[in-house]
Amino acid sequence: MGAGAEMSIQSTGGPSVHSSDAANFFQRAAIAVQRRIGRQRIRAFLLGSIPFVAILSIWFLNDIFVWRQTYEIPSMKAVVKSFFHLQRNCPGIIGLLTMDRACGMTNHIFDSISRMLLAAVIGLPVGIGLGVLAGMNRTISKLVEPIAIFFNSISGIAWIPLAIVWFGIGWMTTLFIILNTVVWLMFFNAMLGVRSIAKVYEQSVATMGGSRWNIITDVYLPGAMPSIMTGLRMSMGFGWRALIAAEMIGGDSGLGFMIFSAAAEFRIELVFLGVILISLIWMATDRFLFVPLERWTVERWGLVWKPS
Amino acid sequence: MSYVAKPGGASSTKRAPKPSLLSREGLHIFLARWRHSGFAYVFNILLTVVIALTIWSLISSLITNPGRYLPSPFVVALSSVDVFYKGLLPAYYGNTLTRLVLGSILGLSLGVPFGLLLGLNRTVSDMFYPIMNFFQSVSGIAIFPIIMIWWGNSEKTVFIVILYTCFFPIAFNALSGVRGVPLTYVNAALTLGASPFQVVKDVLLPGAMPNIATGTRLGIGFAWRAVIAGEMLVGREGLGWMIFTARSADLTAQIILGMVTIGVTWIILDHYLLRPFERSTIEKWGLVLR
Repeated sequence: MGAGAEMSIQSTGGPSVHSSDAANFFQRAAIAVQRRIGRQRIRAFLLGSIPFVAILSIWFLNDIFVWRQTYEIPSMKAVVKSFFHLQRNCPGIIGLLTMDRACGMTNHIFDSISRMLLAAVIGLPVGIGLGVLAGMNRTISKLVEPIAIFFNSISGIAWIPLAIVWFGIGWMTTLFIILNTVVWLMFFNAMLGVRSIAKVYEQSVATMGGSRWNIITDVYLPGAMPSIMTGLRMSMGFGWRALIAAEMIGGDSGLGFMIFSAAAEFRIELVFLGVILISLIWMATDRFLFVPLERWTVERWGLVWKPS
Repeated sequence: MSYVAKPGGASSTKRAPKPSLLSREGLHIFLARWRHSGFAYVFNILLTVVIALTIWSLISSLITNPGRYLPSPFVVALSSVDVFYKGLLPAYYGNTLTRLVLGSILGLSLGVPFGLLLGLNRTVSDMFYPIMNFFQSVSGIAIFPIIMIWWGNSEKTVFIVILYTCFFPIAFNALSGVRGVPLTYVNAALTLGASPFQVVKDVLLPGAMPNIATGTRLGIGFAWRAVIAGEMLVGREGLGWMIFTARSADLTAQIILGMVTIGVTWIILDHYLLRPFERSTIEKWGLVLR
């Protein structure tokens, strides 16, 4: 793409109508795409995809030139094949959704994601509730904060042995580890968010006859929302990492368990597949759910006037 | 006034008279001074610790098999004597800290220059920004199995994972810090006749400093988690290994001891080393007009 491609195309656009319709169509399409998406974005996308393409092509060329043996770096085909290999006896979409035992691959994915969802459903309200309470009341925060700092510092991974002793290997252990990561991070973010709200707002709501509950729902929660959303994104990120580690050591299913047991059997194509899936799932969730959510929240509630 | 003047001393000094605790105002003044003194802070933490320990020992005295599930604080303290006497805890602690320090120094010394170099050129930084973001979000623990297959159950494996986990956050943050420096500043320095080296030293590096500090804290935090997980998974001697083997030996007191050690170490590292470093860096370099 030249510097003034759009301009030059437009200036020569007139006479070329008669010469060739096909070329004209492509030129128009290119201009339309550029107008719609934006030149800078196209440039950033193309530039950014260069390293990915380079790495993928080196990986692909490894099949042909075999710089590294296939037990060290598997061929791309084997990686794709291993996905379907685990799914080979799966009885269609119904079996996939009912988590039939034959659908190995999707079961692992669903297990990991559902653990994450369950931890979010349980952990977020607990963390936010505790955080709002601690933000409201100095006495509570003085008591809970040191404990929260301590538990947050024992990273989720260090809990794994004790969790195995308490709950055995399986669902409960992994859930416990994620909850441990999620709750305390949410607590801190909610608390800091509530503390950053100006006193004027709660006082004005109280003056107009609002109850304690009204102050919580109308002042504290909306005011702390940007901070809570940042905490949500952060805690989900840390939680996902902790989940993988927990599944490796104390799980009996899920993506972490899959890659760890595959590594023990030296099935490297399965390990590669698992790592790629883990990163893709997290990146897609972050990009298409958490980042827009955070941006929207900041736009909606983040620019509240703060008296200085 | 209900202050009771000090006998004889009131005329000689300009200090406020010492309030008596018996009067109401005196009590308020005393409480206010207490709240703002350092003692209140320490007292508060001590109070929380005492309450937490009490609840802990209550629970452990109520459950059926406390030796297996939740030994009382006293038993945990006793087990620490045992582990100290055998010399296990100091040795393991030293191993873990050495890994963390070496790994993060290596990560810093590679990551910061890498991020700066990539950030120098707008096109190059646009090119590498997405892939650095990608590697930053792929957790180091997830690539553990691959590293284990490539390098086996060795010290190298743990080190490579630590390096991986702290390199990418640091490099990515350095890169985005350099990208965030306004071009006006670079152009101003160039107009005044600065050499490229001076531009890097006086404009780009200070401008990226807050981000580098944040990246450092993030990276070392990830590295700490990776050290613990790595010792568990690969089986090298260290704190993570200690709590992991204690589980198979059914020594729950030792697990809890290890966890407390891990927690206290990270609190000290984070609150008294990394956070003050980050805050002072941001205060020093971060208030640049954007």
